[in-house]
Amino acid sequence: MTPADLAAHPILDPTLAPPFPQAALPVLRNPQLRKNVAHAIDVIQAKRAKLVQEKADWQELRAAASAIRNHALDNLAYYLELFETRCTAAGGIVHWAADAAEAREIVLTILREENATEVIKIKTMTSAEIQLNPFLEAAGVNVFETDLAEIILQLGEGEPSHIVVPALHVNRGQVCEIFARRLGLPDLSDDPQALTTAARNYLRKKFLYIPTAIGGANFLVAETGSVAVVESEGNGRMCLTLPRTLITLAGIEKVIPRFQDLEVMLQVLARSATGERMNPYTSLWTGVTPGDGPQQFHVILLDNQRSAILGRAKERQTLKCIRCAACMNACPVYRQTGGHAYGSVYPGPIGAILTPQLMQMHHAQSLPYASSLCGACYEVCPVKIDIPEVLIDLRAQVVDQERKRGARFFDPMFLGMKISNFLFAEAWRFRLAQLLGRFGLRWFTSKDGWIHSLPSLGAKWTQTRDLRGLPPQTFRDWWATRATDAGKEEK
Amino acid sequence: MNEFTRRAILDRVRLATHFPSKGQTTDSYLNLPRTYLSSGQLCPEDRVALMIERLREYGADVVESTVKDLPAAIATQLEAGGRHSFVAPPGIPPAWRDKKFDWKIDRHLTHDEIEQAEGVLTASYCGVADSGTIVLHHSPTVGRRILTLLPDWHLCILNASQIVESLPEYFQRCTQPPAVATFISGPSATADIEMTRIKGVHGPRFLNVILVNDQSASHSRAPKRH
Repeated sequence: MTPADLAAHPILDPTLAPPFPQAALPVLRNPQLRKNVAHAIDVIQAKRAKLVQEKADWQELRAAASAIRNHALDNLAYYLELFETRCTAAGGIVHWAADAAEAREIVLTILREENATEVIKIKTMTSAEIQLNPFLEAAGVNVFETDLAEIILQLGEGEPSHIVVPALHVNRGQVCEIFARRLGLPDLSDDPQALTTAARNYLRKKFLYIPTAIGGANFLVAETGSVAVVESEGNGRMCLTLPRTLITLAGIEKVIPRFQDLEVMLQVLARSATGERMNPYTSLWTGVTPGDGPQQFHVILLDNQRSAILGRAKERQTLKCIRCAACMNACPVYRQTGGHAYGSVYPGPIGAILTPQLMQMHHAQSLPYASSLCGACYEVCPVKIDIPEVLIDLRAQVVDQERKRGARFFDPMFLGMKISNFLFAEAWRFRLAQLLGRFGLRWFTSKDGWIHSLPSLGAKWTQTRDLRGLPPQTFRDWWATRATDAGKEEK
Repeated sequence: MNEFTRRAILDRVRLATHFPSKGQTTDSYLNLPRTYLSSGQLCPEDRVALMIERLREYGADVVESTVKDLPAAIATQLEAGGRHSFVAPPGIPPAWRDKKFDWKIDRHLTHDEIEQAEGVLTASYCGVADSGTIVLHHSPTVGRRILTLLPDWHLCILNASQIVESLPEYFQRCTQPPAVATFISGPSATADIEMTRIKGVHGPRFLNVILVNDQSASHSRAPKRH
C-alpha cells in the first residue's frame, strides 16, 4: 500500500494496518493535514491550560479521580455485580460479552427482536473498537451516526483521527464538499454555522422516527445502576430520550463505585477533554423510567481483553482511562502525525498502550515505540495513568517476542544491539570503537560540525535529521588531561 | 442471557484482582483521598453573580427577578422571544403561564406535539455557579426529558437559593440520587468543525434563565436545628 492510498483510506484495523512509521508518512508529507491537526490541538490545549490553571484544587481532583478509578478496578467484580443488580432492579437488561464478536451478535439479536432496520447512534469508542457499523450494515441495518464529527466521517467515508474530536483533520472546505454532495445541498456555504444547521436538519426527522438507538457510557454507577453520558451537541440526549429501545455498549472498566464519585469525574473530564468547565449536556439515567425515555433498555458489558489487562500489574492502569484525549492533545508525536498513523480507533499515547494490549500483543507492536517518552501525556492525564511506564513495559514485551523469533538475528537493530553489547562489555573495546568511530565519521562530518548524510543504514537517521559529529576529544580524554592541567597550573 | 459468558468474565476479573472481600472494598473506598474543595467560599451574592457570569459566557440569556415579579418577568421574556406556542410540565404554577400565549401542558403529549412547540418553560433543581451548570431532576415542575430537548427555546426558572458554588455541593444536596437527571451548561454546542464553537446543534439553541432572588440564599443552606 502506497502512502497516497493510505492518505485517502487510512486503515484503523490493527490487524491490517502498516507499522506506525510507515502509516505516519502520508500525514508528514501533507502540509494541509498537518496544519488542520496542529490548529485543532493548539486550540484545545490553550483552553484546557487556562481552565486547569484557574482550578485551585486541580491536583487534588486528579489524585481523587485516580484513586477512585484504581479502587473501582481493584474491586471490579464486586462493582460490576452491584451495577448489574441495581440496573436490573430499575428495569434494565444487562448482557455480558467476552469479545467483539459476541457483543456484535448481542446487538444484532436485540435489533432483530425489535425488527429494527435502522438505528441512530451516539458517538461510542467501544462500538468503533468492535467495528459495529460495518457488521450491522452487512446484516442489512442502516446505521446513522448523529455526532456532527461522526456524520462528517460517515458521509465522507473517512476515518476518525481523535477520540473526542474525531474529524479534526477535516477542514471546513472539505466538510462543505461532503455535505453538498451527500445531503444534496449544492449551494451550501463553508461557514461552520451553515454546516452545523445542515446537520441539524438532516438528523431532526431521523431522531423523531427511528425507534432504536445505540450509545456508549462515560460512567456506570454501581451504587445506583445508573449510566452517565457526557456530550456537547444534544444528539446524545436525542438518542437517549426519543427512541423506544436503547442499547448501551460499555467496557467493563467503565464502572465507578458511587453516585457521588461523579463530582470528581465530571469536573476533571470536561476540562481535560474540551477545555470547558462543564460540557453542555450530561445525561444520567437508571434503567427504565415509566413515561420518560426508552422503555426498553439494554446494557452490554464488554470484556474484549480488559480482564487480561487487569491482571498485569503495570498495565492495569491503562483501564483507568476516561477517554478525555488530553494525552493525544499534549503529545508531540500525535501533533505531527495525527491519529490515522496509529492504525487503530484509539490513537495517541493512550492508543499506543491500549491497542497492542487489546490485540494481545499479536498486532500493533510498533505503537509502544510511537513516543518520545517525554511524559507530557502523564502530566495532563486526569486519572494519572503513567503512560511512559506502560510504554516501556510494552516495549520490553515486544523485544521479548522478537527475541524468540529466530529471524531476528538478521535484523540490523538486533545486530547493532548485539555489537554494542560486545563493545560496552570491556573498556578497551569501547575506547577502540570511539577511536575508530571518530576517524570513520570524519569523512562525513561537514565543516559546521554536523553530519548531514550517512550512507546505507545510517541514512535512516540522517534522512530526517542531522547528527552532531563526534567531538575531537572524548569526555574521558578531557578528564585525564584536566587532572594534569590543574597540576601544571598549581606549579 | 448467556450465563456462561457472565461467569467467565467475572471469574477472570476476580482472578486478576485477587478476590478482594466486600469488607476490604468498603474500607478502602471510605479511605480514598478526597482533599479537593468540597464547599464553596463565596458569599451568596457573589455566588449568584458568578452563576450569571458563567451562564452569559455560554451565551445564555439571563435576567433577574424577585419572587413577586416572577410572573411578569416570565411574560416579558416570553414576549421578547417572539414566540407563541409553548409547552410546560404539569407542575408549573398557572400564574407563570401568561394567557397571551398558546400553552400545551405535558400530559402525554406526543413527540410531534412537543416538536411543534416553539419554546418550553420549566423550573430547575440546582445551579452550579463554578461551571454555570443547571441541573434538572425530572420532577413535575421540570418535566420529562424530552420536554427540554425538542423545543428550540428554553426558559428556565432558577432560584438563588438553589445555587451552589461547586459541583460537590450539588452532590451533598442530593441525599437521594436522582433516577434521571440532566446537567445543562449553556445551550447545545459543537466545535467539531475547525474548533469553531457553534451554538445550537440538536438541543435547544436558546437558553434563557430567570434568576429569582428568593432572599433566602444563606438561610436555606444552614442545617435545620430545632
